[in-house]
Amino acid sequence: MSPTPKWKPRGEMTLLNTGYARLDGPDKVTGRAVYSHDVRLPRQVYARLVLHSYPRAELTSLDLEPARRIPGVVLVEAQKAAGDELVYLGDDSIVAYVAAETPEAAKDAARAVRAAFRDHYPPMVTREQSLSPGAPSITGRGNTSGARDRGDEAAVDSALEGAAVVVEQVYELPIQHHVCLETHGHVVDYDGESATCYASTQAVSGSVDEFARNLGLPADKVRVLTPVMGGGFGAKFGIGLEGAICCLIAKKLLRPVHLMLDRPQEFQMAGNRSGTWVRMRGGIDAQGRLVGQFAEVDRLGGTGGGAFPLMPYIYACETNAARTRSVHTALDSNRAMRAPGHPQASFAQESFLDELAYAAGLDPVEVRKVNVESDVYRRHLDVVADAIGWDAHPNRTAPGEAGADGWAEGIGFGLATWRAGGRPGCEVEVRITPDGAVTSSCAVQDLGTGSRTLVAAIIAEELGLPLSAVTARIGDSDLPPSVGSGGSVTTGALAPALKVAAHRAREALEQRLVPVLGAEVGDYEWVRGRVRVAGEGDMTMSFGEVCALLGNQPLSVRGEYDGSLDADGSLHGAQAARVRVDTLTGRVEVLDMVATHDQGIPLNRLALTSQINGGMIQALSYGLLEERVLDAEMGWLLSDNLESYKIAGPKEMPRLRVILDEDDGRNLATGMAEAPVIPGHSAIANAIFNACGARLRSLPFTPDRVLAALAERA
Amino acid sequence: MAKRPREPRESDPQGPDLSRRSFLVSAGSAAAGSVLAGGLAGAATAAEAQESTDGRLAGLVNVRLKINGEQRTVAVEPRTTLLSTLRHRLDPALTGTKEVCDRGNCGACTVLVDGRPVYSCLQLACTLEGSEITTVEGLGSPDDMSDVQQAFCDKDASMCGFCTPGFVVATTACLAKHAAPDDATIRHELSGNLCRCGTYPHIFEAAASAASKSGGRGR
Ligand code: FES
Ligand code: FES
Repeated sequence: MSPTPKWKPRGEMTLLNTGYARLDGPDKVTGRAVYSHDVRLPRQVYARLVLHSYPRAELTSLDLEPARRIPGVVLVEAQKAAGDELVYLGDDSIVAYVAAETPEAAKDAARAVRAAFRDHYPPMVTREQSLSPGAPSITGRGNTSGARDRGDEAAVDSALEGAAVVVEQVYELPIQHHVCLETHGHVVDYDGESATCYASTQAVSGSVDEFARNLGLPADKVRVLTPVMGGGFGAKFGIGLEGAICCLIAKKLLRPVHLMLDRPQEFQMAGNRSGTWVRMRGGIDAQGRLVGQFAEVDRLGGTGGGAFPLMPYIYACETNAARTRSVHTALDSNRAMRAPGHPQASFAQESFLDELAYAAGLDPVEVRKVNVESDVYRRHLDVVADAIGWDAHPNRTAPGEAGADGWAEGIGFGLATWRAGGRPGCEVEVRITPDGAVTSSCAVQDLGTGSRTLVAAIIAEELGLPLSAVTARIGDSDLPPSVGSGGSVTTGALAPALKVAAHRAREALEQRLVPVLGAEVGDYEWVRGRVRVAGEGDMTMSFGEVCALLGNQPLSVRGEYDGSLDADGSLHGAQAARVRVDTLTGRVEVLDMVATHDQGIPLNRLALTSQINGGMIQALSYGLLEERVLDAEMGWLLSDNLESYKIAGPKEMPRLRVILDEDDGRNLATGMAEAPVIPGHSAIANAIFNACGARLRSLPFTPDRVLAALAERA
Repeated sequence: MAKRPREPRESDPQGPDLSRRSFLVSAGSAAAGSVLAGGLAGAATAAEAQESTDGRLAGLVNVRLKINGEQRTVAVEPRTTLLSTLRHRLDPALTGTKEVCDRGNCGACTVLVDGRPVYSCLQLACTLEGSEITTVEGLGSPDDMSDVQQAFCDKDASMCGFCTPGFVVATTACLAKHAAPDDATIRHELSGNLCRCGTYPHIFEAAASAASKSGGRGR
């Protein structure tokens, strides 16, 4: 028996490396999939949070009685007391919570809570306010933290004396929201001794302890269920204050409690990608090589630290320095959001390098190639440049001009990087019954990436079965444990455990075959639902006949993560965008986006394409539309629903093309969640410049900003 | 929570040069009103809340709706939306229709009312007496999917799936209206729906493929 299985060569795979439909598709397209929002239990109550809308206010009185008098209301409790200060806009804005028999009664009760506030201090919701001289300290610990100096700024400046061109510019990115369509929330069903928690979470196994702690139960009395969930993107780790309050209500009432945020609450307290202010200074030589680069970075993560990777981002530059810090505002902390910090760094770095290239009269693709260390990037740049039509493009070293109709067309580029592979933490059970039923189980959650389908697919591939012959059980903390889904690790962590379990199941079945067919374990072929001795004529037995050899004893094996089955090192990718700019109105239309990424084994080509499409679309949306808007004077959140916080819809969709990297030689598993979301908006900004010379240094690229940038060019 | 020493105010609310912030603050306190998120307009006094809520509850009305071919009588308040009716007032609830914005922005709540696609979060159930309502559950079941539903599966047009019911209904309505829609028509007809996972390209493919299969019958 071989202790360490290996992935088959891609060419021999019959299911993996092809594209196939998801197992949960039929439930999702017919409305039968039950999300946490949809859970309806007998005696369930509807809970609701009561939020205040200013940061930095003092609560002077709180009267819950009017809310308690509303028919149908079963509980009204204070979260804050008179005299408390609300420090930041976010979960600190929760002043009370209610529970009622119907959602409408809960809404009425929330509205009826009377709260008075006074002495609204300056709101401190912008970087400028936090840094202004004499600004009050938001949390009492100063408005900046985590300052770090790396490298020698003076050395950069002396290196720049030899540069052909030097550029210094500031790039700014607003706060972005995750906008999971299913808002945060839970249903907690607690009976005094144990609890079942229906959670919209990215970490089924990882939430058990937190629920247990909040319910005062031992962990083995808590079961977390997440069969499906409506998006996370990094915002749904931990049960949050809303989860803790849900537990509290459940304990008080001993009834199932349904507590979901509504959309404005989701925008106010359920996570964001940190904003960023970056000043870049640097230069290239006549060949386009970076000779020095200095970056000054303010991470704007509200009361949190924000995220930003090391500079230079992706490109190599020996003489570099960076000064980074967090600047705090009176807003909820940033959370992990798809490739935390990377889209921000990408925008600063890719825009900056592009500016240098054009300033030197060089082709921005060539300048990129000169400054990357890995040949994979050079290959990826060629692939996307070719697909987008760069060679035939008329203006490759200087921006173009608008035609007589005012429209101009341009092309831009950007690169992506992420860590490949998974990590330990997943276990899988494969169970095969004598009647031939195969079940593969892991607690893992499926955020929409297709992990449920993978749980069945790897087993089906190993046993030569159709996908439909394997039942996948996921999203249940009673099943073998899983890692949380963050940082693209799920596939790299899960696939090896599945492969190991599948391999053990196959060998266990082959042991039963030894006395029947005579060959040793490992010398069998499993194809199209049948098995034969390797290389010997016809398929001899059906899978069902093999399982019948189990007698009346079902087979159960477990597999765990094995680091020889997932990729390590880096993931790479390149994207290109072609845009059209109306220079009369400032409107930007993205016409075409192309992406190529290395992905190890394409475990499901269809789902992989969906993931990369999704990354490009979120980046497009970030670039053109998204911005958390606060009233600088009042501190109110103005962008609190989808009419004021826009995300890209059908009309904004360009032609999208995904070119999977067939030359990635790693026959190993890895995920594809972060990399594709990183460079799209940078490529769009560079395409806008290439089209008409308007350099957009702040997101989003709204018509007013495009017109202002055009005026700057003129 | 520990109390911090007072910090200087941005401006004195009583002073002559009222900033907008201090004006709104003092206006708010003059009305003895709190400013709670979502309660700006609805900050009724206790007495009003009591009265209006009693009025609403006393005003439960029975509405007859034909939902997915079945005649249902359901008790709703005049302010109960069709979305809330489906999700909360029916027993068993029909939860395929999703609530995302509750404000007519996203299309996740799209259902067919007498064959027309509508945002069910913007329809009051009591105004729909006698109407025929079709939700995503009424278009097919996992064992008997419509052409549109099958195409969504085949083309991987659903990821997390939370927007999917709305898109399935909107696509069905699109195909009922256009026998062979071109790409621009599909985008236009679906432009009232949003997806955060980014399934749009596959949704467009699914719509086109279902159209060619059903010849525009929309099923
Ligand atoms: S929930 Fe009705 S349009 Fe968003
Ligand atoms: S599939 Fe997740 S929002 Fe559309």
